[in-house]
Amino acid sequence: MSGPVMKLLLRRLLTLIPTLILVSLLLFCILRMLPVDPAAMSLPPNATNAEIEAMRIEMGLDKPLIQQYGIWFGNIIHGDFGASIHYRTAVSKLVLDTLPATIELALAAMVFATLFGVLGGLWLFYTRGGVVESVLDLGTVALLSIPEFLWGLFFMLLFGVSLDLLPFIGRLGAGVDRPETITGFLLIDSLLAGSPLTFLDAIRHMILPSVALGLSAAPPIMRILRSTLMDVYQEDYIHQARQRGISEGRILIFHALKNAFLPTLSLMGVQFGFLFGGTLLVEIIYSYPGMGNLMVDAIRNADLPIIQTVGLTYCVMVLLISMVVDVLYLVLNPKLREA
Amino acid sequence: MEKRFFWLRSGRVITGLSIIALLVICALFAPWLAPNDPTEQDILNTLVPPVWQTGGDWTFPLGTDGLGRCVLSRIIYGSRIALTVAVFGALGAMILGSVLAHIAGYFGGWVDWVIGRVVEIWLSFPPVILSLILMVGLGAGLQNVILAIIVVDWTRFCRVLRSDVMVVARRDYVAAARLLGFSHWRTVTREILPATLPLLITLMSLEMGVAVVVEAILSFVGMSVGAEVPAWGQMIADARADIYQAPWTLILPILAIFVTVFGFNILGDGLRRTLDTRLTQTERA
Repeated sequence: MSGPVMKLLLRRLLTLIPTLILVSLLLFCILRMLPVDPAAMSLPPNATNAEIEAMRIEMGLDKPLIQQYGIWFGNIIHGDFGASIHYRTAVSKLVLDTLPATIELALAAMVFATLFGVLGGLWLFYTRGGVVESVLDLGTVALLSIPEFLWGLFFMLLFGVSLDLLPFIGRLGAGVDRPETITGFLLIDSLLAGSPLTFLDAIRHMILPSVALGLSAAPPIMRILRSTLMDVYQEDYIHQARQRGISEGRILIFHALKNAFLPTLSLMGVQFGFLFGGTLLVEIIYSYPGMGNLMVDAIRNADLPIIQTVGLTYCVMVLLISMVVDVLYLVLNPKLREA
Repeated sequence: MEKRFFWLRSGRVITGLSIIALLVICALFAPWLAPNDPTEQDILNTLVPPVWQTGGDWTFPLGTDGLGRCVLSRIIYGSRIALTVAVFGALGAMILGSVLAHIAGYFGGWVDWVIGRVVEIWLSFPPVILSLILMVGLGAGLQNVILAIIVVDWTRFCRVLRSDVMVVARRDYVAAARLLGFSHWRTVTREILPATLPLLITLMSLEMGVAVVVEAILSFVGMSVGAEVPAWGQMIADARADIYQAPWTLILPILAIFVTVFGFNILGDGLRRTLDTRLTQTERA
């Protein structure tokens, strides 16, 4: 990797630390407004007041808020995320068990979002100025009005319940062998275990949730690609390419798209961050055993340690996504690389 | 048509306003429009199909849900929740976000830096996650849903408006106003705000759609107004149990949310095209 890219990566990693501290502080303060008492929650209902008081002291709840936060953050740095009140296991284990499923789903959704976004944007641009464009343009407004959870429910009804084409519950069907968990990524694990049937079943289970998620993230990508292509076509080098007799298709793909892609890419960074949060809803709809279901269950049980850790994990993932996109931007943009 | 109402010539604006008018009528006149009590359970008439299907009954034009509650009445009453969060949630987010955007864009310097960093922290939370965590901290209830929408979505206004304010604040007429001895307050409200207002109105319309979706999501995961209040997201959550026997109980609230959000989005899109002076005449058509 070249020097500027490394420099950017290093700078981003350094700003990541204060950001994470502030994010976790915000998270901590919001959750301390919770009307239930975490000490009472973690004891059986017949516990005496003295026992609850002892638990409060043990959990550090008698100390000032900022000190409580310090203890929590200090433990996190040492890899101790606390234990779940409900499941009585280490939170880190619960999160590590569910995170790969969520990442797998999010990555598949990002592929679909990019595919739909770029193809849709090209289509919108290709039909510019015509009647088709105004119809398509109205179509994008309609698409923008459908959030991921409505797509998810709609696909479940159409392709799952009515047409019975694709499965819509969980990550694997009932009769399918579960491969040994090595990475937690089902697609990788099933290949490592040498079971193509499991691999195919896992893919079939991923189609509806990831397409639903991808479709909801695609419309803004379509629109920005169309409008940057419009701008790019005003540039001299497009006219020159035309005068050199290069075909319209070649100009679009090799000359215009290459240059219009950068603004699209930085928008995709933002969209993918939203998309990662959207996995929560899609996971609930499709009973997909990822972090989203862990989070919602934890909320129902008022399981504070899980809520805190999962919330923080979502933020870390969003920050990582935006970092990756920034680095890609730099790699693809020769102007910035030289500066 | 009078010149100040030129924006009414846009088909999109008309479409959006018509849908919103329908929503407002449903919300205001729900007790008169709804054929039944939206919360009344009729155990003898559960999962009645809509009238156009065999077994349908005009007592329940759109059928009943798993507890025998009238779907049409619940959709009509659900518009009250949707409209309330759309108006108050979007208004609050707009006020907080645009005040900060004007402060940051007008004064620049360290004020801008601080507000920019706060926005950045907020953006590292996926909106769904932040609103869920806020609801955990605040507890369920309509007021808290509105508060969560404001606290999560003010950044949408702040991010977009800030750069617009910066551009306007560097124009000559703003400098002229300052030289004439206008106070900061007067400069921002009389000279800058009129120029940023079109964008602000457009964003407000889009945000109302977002607010409807956020409330539906929170109802869907059981973190909003509570199971006894008819809300569209709650209807979806209830209908999931009967997905095989009664898909319409799921489809109808989905349609209600889609049409409402589409109304706000198409209005926003129409306003952007008609109010934005930077767009050319052809782009506006």
